[in-house]
Amino acid sequence: MSFEQSHAPSRRSFLGLTAAGSLAVLLSSCAVDPKTLEADPAAGTATSAAIVEGGTLRLAFTSDVYGNLDPNQNFWIESRSINRNLVDSLTDQDPKTGEIVPWLATKWEVAPDAKSYTFDLRDDVTFSDGTKFDATAVKTALDGIKALGAKASLGATYISGYAGTTVLSPTRVRVDFSTPNAAFLQATATTTLGILSPASYSKTPEARAKGDYVGSGPFTLTEYVQQQSIKLAKRADYAWGSGINANTGAAHIDALEVTFIPEEGVLTGSLTSGQIDVAWPRTPLSEAAQTSVKAAGATVLSAVLPGLTYNIIPNVNGILGDPAVRQALQKALDRAEWASTVFYDGYPVAKSVIDSTTPQWADNSSLLEHDPTGAKALLDQAGWVAGSDGTRSKDGKPLSLTLVVGGPWAGWDLVQSQLGEVGITLVQRVVTPAEFTTASNSGDFDLTATYFTRGDADILRTYYDQSVVKPGTGPGAYNQEPQTAAQLTTLFAQEISETDPVKRKAVFADIQKILISSGALFPLQDRVQTAATAATVHDLKFTLESFLRLNDVWISK
Amino acid sequence: MTTLTSPTQTSHTTSTTTAAADATTAAAEPALLPGGRRSRRAQLLRRPGVVVAVLYVLLALGTAAVPGLYTGVDPQQPHPADKLLPPGGQYWFGTDELGRDLFARVVHGSALTVQATLVALAIAVVAGLLVGLVSGFCGGWVDVVLMRGVDVVLAIPTLLLSLTIITALGFGTVNVAIAVGVALVPGFARITRAEVLRVKTLPYIEAARSGGATWTSVLRRHVLPNTWGPVVVLAVLDVGTAILAVSSLSFLGFGAQPPHADWGSLIASGRTYLVTNPWLSLLPGLAVGLLVLSLNHVAKSLEEVAR
Repeated sequence: MSFEQSHAPSRRSFLGLTAAGSLAVLLSSCAVDPKTLEADPAAGTATSAAIVEGGTLRLAFTSDVYGNLDPNQNFWIESRSINRNLVDSLTDQDPKTGEIVPWLATKWEVAPDAKSYTFDLRDDVTFSDGTKFDATAVKTALDGIKALGAKASLGATYISGYAGTTVLSPTRVRVDFSTPNAAFLQATATTTLGILSPASYSKTPEARAKGDYVGSGPFTLTEYVQQQSIKLAKRADYAWGSGINANTGAAHIDALEVTFIPEEGVLTGSLTSGQIDVAWPRTPLSEAAQTSVKAAGATVLSAVLPGLTYNIIPNVNGILGDPAVRQALQKALDRAEWASTVFYDGYPVAKSVIDSTTPQWADNSSLLEHDPTGAKALLDQAGWVAGSDGTRSKDGKPLSLTLVVGGPWAGWDLVQSQLGEVGITLVQRVVTPAEFTTASNSGDFDLTATYFTRGDADILRTYYDQSVVKPGTGPGAYNQEPQTAAQLTTLFAQEISETDPVKRKAVFADIQKILISSGALFPLQDRVQTAATAATVHDLKFTLESFLRLNDVWISK
Repeated sequence: MTTLTSPTQTSHTTSTTTAAADATTAAAEPALLPGGRRSRRAQLLRRPGVVVAVLYVLLALGTAAVPGLYTGVDPQQPHPADKLLPPGGQYWFGTDELGRDLFARVVHGSALTVQATLVALAIAVVAGLLVGLVSGFCGGWVDVVLMRGVDVVLAIPTLLLSLTIITALGFGTVNVAIAVGVALVPGFARITRAEVLRVKTLPYIEAARSGGATWTSVLRRHVLPNTWGPVVVLAVLDVGTAILAVSSLSFLGFGAQPPHADWGSLIASGRTYLVTNPWLSLLPGLAVGLLVLSLNHVAKSLEEVAR
């Protein structure tokens, strides 16, 4: 199983940041995307003014660790942001509601058993190499993703049970599954199942990873140097953007230039000195960084990334096999203090094992309250007695848990301190990112942590259904006691066969509750994508998955 | 940040700077008295710079030995309400991003940094002395094999070597010390070997041999005591190098196991706040900088006075 990120933390939710005196405004001030934080409302009236065409947007990400730009293969958040502007998908997902809306497919039918999907396609779409987009292209793409096998670490889970695609007519195609896959419709909205031109699939996966492919998106790739730079140029004849964009035609900007700047200080410095227009860091901009960019006239946008919250994961084959210890750990975490200390006041506090923007999210904050007294009582009852120094032990065995981490981080120090309050000793084992993945996948930990971004709660099944995750493939193989695992597997089977979104959400509510109350996961933080934009940048939008969408963005002089 | 200087460079630089220092000293104090230990000490104490440097080194050693004497505050205790406070009355060095007392962290970090430095030097001196002694004394193929080994180690950039060792051993203060120590060995081996080669041709060695002493007793009673003078000088000079090397590795994230922090990791964790809360990096950086400067000043002054 791949990890989007091996250690560090992530982001947080919408703040009501109002950047005084900054930026003017989003054009669509009446139909504001709630994920996009508006600038000063007073300044907002000035600019329903004309959108300026042209210009190059200079953007900086944190890093390009995997150096893979193939949407069907990669799982790195930043790469997926670039992919969103290079390739189109069959459907799109409304950032406000999570609803699936038409894009390359104009309408679709889902079989009641969730084993068959039929799509009607647009017939006016071309790939940037001139090839026409049709039913055969869809079949080639899905077969191509299937053929990637383990290389499509994410895609393989999105099309689990894929049996084949049948071309019914040039504009009608049916996708069949051998097992139900109710999450497939949302999957068609992701970059992961983005449709590349048929010719692209004759290239090797390695060549595609380096950018040797063609999509039908509003931009084309002009240069990709791994770990260094990405350049995109606009496609002038683009005319099939999905309805959630204000601009469904060719992009307003001419080009995008991406660089990678790992240090937050350098990143914000580059923005305030005008060397870049957009800073798009992996971890949320710190309070200090936000203050400094806002003082320079920039705006800070933020959105909660859907998918798994940053969860701490226990291994029940150790001290954490004792349910009382897991319950106590759940109560010992003070998530509100954690969010405001490690990030900033107003950072969203985790309320479930999935982030609040995931369509199937349910508020479980009542199960996640900070209750150190309750935690101590549970440990006392279970025989973990506090010694003179406050640390606990039972039959001479100290209550000491090893957390495997990919690098030092103040956030873990605070977790350690919070657990220490109730007498649980936490030992941080710092390892390299490669060792982190190995240790997490092989169960060599008491506690580990990971997250993943997807606009559908089915990501929980991918990570924590023990009929999917086997020992050696992910930490989800170790975090449940057998009876919890059986219960969850049954619920996951229901969820993946349920085509009614309302009923499916109800099943997910049960799943989230069980994961939390059984102590299979300890949510730590909602993840937030922040982006700081210079005063000249307008209408930069997030997708539902909080990736970069360039259709509407424009640069004023 | 300076990384490890290659040992050959170190010895080279040492000799040239010493020559230069001699020239200045000679100009400043033409009537340099020849004298015994007592007058040398007196000369040293007449230099205010040396006194200050010695006091600072003693302070650093003191905080390393008994940090609790200097601060009663728990360096690991977060105070979320007091995060990122500037230096002031309650928190002398301010607080970090979790509201931990930076002064307490610097004081407790000194223990880790100084201990790692001493362990590193011990490894370098002992191993270097042993390799140099055997190599110089035995000569022949033993010398060839050992010195080619040392050459190979010298050929690898020292920071790279340290990183490789630490990746193999795992993270942690002790492992950082071992990595730095191993990287410093070749310098000591080279110096020792050169001294042994010089000493072993001297008449008193020959005399001892003709007097019937065994090779091992000659080695132990005559060669070794007359060899380690320059080694000790190099060791004192390399304390500064070792502190910088240990801090560099900690800065890169290989050092102290969190939540403990040594000076290097304190500098690293403050980087994010360099623009808005510069003291987080600058104060621990100052602690390192002053200690290295003081040690160098003391070592140089000792050298000048000794001549």
